[in-house]
Amino acid sequence: MAPRPAPPAPPRPPAPAAAAPRPRRPFRDNPLQVLLGIFVLVVALAGMMLLLNRSSQLAPDFLSEFVLYSLSVVDLTMLVGLVFVLARSVIKMMVERKRGLPFARFRAKLVLLLLGMTVIPAVLVLLVGSQLIFNSVDRWFNQPMDEMLDSSQRIASDYYHERQRQVAGETAQLAQRLAATDLATSDLRAVRDAVAGSVTGERLTLVEVYRLEPGADGLPQPRPVVDVAAASAGPVPGRDTSERLAARAARGQPDPWMREPLDSGGELIRAAAVVRRANGAAAGVVVGSVQLTGEMAARARRMTRAYESYTQLRVFKPALTGVYLSFFLMVTLMILVSATWMGLYLAKRITRPVQLLAAAAREIGAGHFEHRVERETADEFGSLVDAFNAMADELAASRRALEQSSVDLQRKHAEVEDRRRFTEAVLDRVATGVITIDAGGRIGILNPAACRLLGVDAGAAGRPADDVFGSGDLRPLAELATAPYVPGKDWPAQEIVLTRDGREVQLALAATPLHGDARQLEGRVLVLDDITPLIRAQKVAAWREVARRLAHEIKNPLTPIQLCAQRLQRQFSGAPGPVRELVDECTGTIVGEVEALKTLVDEFSQFARMPSPRRVPTDVHQLLTGTLGLYEGLFAHVRIETLFAVVMPPVRLDPDQIRRVVINLVDNAIEALNQQGLIVVETQHDAATSVARIIVADDGPGIAPEERDKLFMPYYSTKKRGSGLGLAIVRRIVAEHGGSVEVGANEPRGTRFTIELPCGDVEAAPGTEIT
Amino acid sequence: MPARLLAIVLCAFVADAGGDRAVDVGAVARDGRVYVSSTASDGLMRDLEEPIQAGLSTTITYEADLREEVGIWFDRTIASATVAASIQYDTLTRRYQLSRSVDGRLDDSRVSEDRADVRRFALGFDRLPLFSTADLEANAEYYVRVRVRTRPRVTFFFWPWGRDAASGTARFTFIP
Repeated sequence: MAPRPAPPAPPRPPAPAAAAPRPRRPFRDNPLQVLLGIFVLVVALAGMMLLLNRSSQLAPDFLSEFVLYSLSVVDLTMLVGLVFVLARSVIKMMVERKRGLPFARFRAKLVLLLLGMTVIPAVLVLLVGSQLIFNSVDRWFNQPMDEMLDSSQRIASDYYHERQRQVAGETAQLAQRLAATDLATSDLRAVRDAVAGSVTGERLTLVEVYRLEPGADGLPQPRPVVDVAAASAGPVPGRDTSERLAARAARGQPDPWMREPLDSGGELIRAAAVVRRANGAAAGVVVGSVQLTGEMAARARRMTRAYESYTQLRVFKPALTGVYLSFFLMVTLMILVSATWMGLYLAKRITRPVQLLAAAAREIGAGHFEHRVERETADEFGSLVDAFNAMADELAASRRALEQSSVDLQRKHAEVEDRRRFTEAVLDRVATGVITIDAGGRIGILNPAACRLLGVDAGAAGRPADDVFGSGDLRPLAELATAPYVPGKDWPAQEIVLTRDGREVQLALAATPLHGDARQLEGRVLVLDDITPLIRAQKVAAWREVARRLAHEIKNPLTPIQLCAQRLQRQFSGAPGPVRELVDECTGTIVGEVEALKTLVDEFSQFARMPSPRRVPTDVHQLLTGTLGLYEGLFAHVRIETLFAVVMPPVRLDPDQIRRVVINLVDNAIEALNQQGLIVVETQHDAATSVARIIVADDGPGIAPEERDKLFMPYYSTKKRGSGLGLAIVRRIVAEHGGSVEVGANEPRGTRFTIELPCGDVEAAPGTEIT
Repeated sequence: MPARLLAIVLCAFVADAGGDRAVDVGAVARDGRVYVSSTASDGLMRDLEEPIQAGLSTTITYEADLREEVGIWFDRTIASATVAASIQYDTLTRRYQLSRSVDGRLDDSRVSEDRADVRRFALGFDRLPLFSTADLEANAEYYVRVRVRTRPRVTFFFWPWGRDAASGTARFTFIP
């Protein structure tokens, strides 16, 4: 089985190379190879059986030299192969077990079981068979057989020796008998008569007489003289053999006898003897032969051959034993190799599909959902593979749906996160205080504006609202945070007044319920707005209307009153002294008070009709220097010092109105100092907020904190004289410039007025009017 | 059975490693030839006695190498010659057919009934001019190594590969 390509699947990011499954060699049943293996095995066995069957017909040396070599080579090869396969399997199993691969132990057990089931009987058969071979070989060479064959061989050999001695002795006697005969000149009858006795007496079958003549090489050469054959002798063989024997005898070589096989099946035993004269010189050679019948010779030869075969077999006894043992060993090794192979094959066939499924499960567990297992068999493993692949398909589909949901969720989460950041940014920057209270009465969100307005720390978030707002002037918030909710009926808005740093702060408080999906109350949102400037502006507007009406209603009758009083003064100018003095005093009082009223009305009118500022880029330091220069020499005991910032950019403002602001503040300071003390006019520039500050400080008696906020209200004055509009005008001018004015205590004593003016866009050319 | 196998194996190795199979080698350079004499020990003959008496054609091969020592490397073989002595025993007539060849050329052939003669014939040769001195350097050291192989070989059950039956060397200084 092997991994196969997955069905069409959506594109996925490629898996890391390290996690990619390693391609494995497909393991398939190959019937052709199996059949071929079985065929080779059968042929090998048949060849072995044939060779074993014919081993008795093969020469022992062939068996020991060739067959034993071949068998030993084959045995060694199979042994090495078996050891290699076993060692490889053992090492592989150890590695698999060490790596924790599944079924390693099972495979080891299966192989060892099959091998053990085969090794034990095979080795037993080998041992028993070897013992049988040893015993059988020993039985071949037993003592009775040795004695019988040795004896028979000795009989035949002794017979041959006896006949040879007999022939040699008779031939020697003939040679002595012919010593007196001149073989070169005597007639042949005498020679024939001399040897005829031996032939007729059947002591010899054939007698051949040679005389010796010197040859070309100086050696004596035998020349045939006469030959006499018995009547029982068959066809006389040629002279070649007897002449060679005669020559050897003539040359004095020892052992001049030999055997000569005959065509009839018999043999001739020949012996030669030299005929010597009285002086010892060799004159000729007599070759005597005796014929053995064919049956006799054949019997002797068979006896000898049997003996030789037997003794030769004994020589090759170890080699022959080795041949048969090698056959046995080869069969045993074939069985072991087959068993090993079969064990490995079965183990692989059983465990590999399960291993592939386990590996595929690991791959899918690692996220490779496209991994599949190829079905290769139609058995239960094939059905298991199909079920696994179907499960993998479903897992892949589920994974794709899950991934899509995850992507959607992430997108929505990002949107919510963006919205949350936007809301937080708004809440952080907005001037309105926002507080969320959950259903349990705990504070959720407490934005910086709420912290600033209420004077509470941001760490109050998460605490119960009752604890945070339950005391002091924050109690209304706690009541609103815990007020019961009536569906369809919102809580009424409230205005609360808090005192922070000696100032009254007026807040508009509204609450809105937070509903869940089921319209249940999940909390509430408290919204705080600082309406103090609004209230203040409303008051100023009201006062301006009052001032305008007062100016209109009062100023109109003042002139007739003044004219009437002056007219009365002129009419009574001629009156008697007491009357005239009385009239002058009354009319003078009337005119003076009318003038005072006119002045007061003018101020009211000016406050009510203050024009909008005409802002131009202005050098503040120059403006202040010029304004303060008006006071030079006026107050001997008042010292005015300036402390200007090093860098002060041009500020867009209405120079006349700001000059009036400064004059008002300095006048107030001089009056507070009772024309004796120090006044410091300081400038600051805050580049980060682009704000220019003008500070007027004195070291006078100072102003109580509770009165500081009232200072800027119209017609409020701590002086015996004055309209109470100076600081109101200051605040209005500064407010219309987009700035603010605050009053505080000066260190170490006195009062400190701080004006903040936005620097604004100074790109415009100096003198440009901005409305 | 295992004990028997073990005993056979041990005996075979002990016999194979026997020390009575040395070959006495003599070498003399004279008249442009190197005359070599070789005499094997009787132990070799004892091993061959049984095959010879069984009528097997037995051959004792003397492989003579004329060699020169070469420092730390393998010695150089200058020339080689093979002397083969064949013995065929006729159990019927009790005679031995003896023949000797040098490099395939028949050198001697005879029949003998004397076992002492057969032993002398089988166990060596005397003053055979096996090598020429043409390739030798004057006053140089040489040696002749003679290795003896026999056939048929007496082998063991499972291990047919044997080593030389015997071997020996003789050194000489070539003086022209």
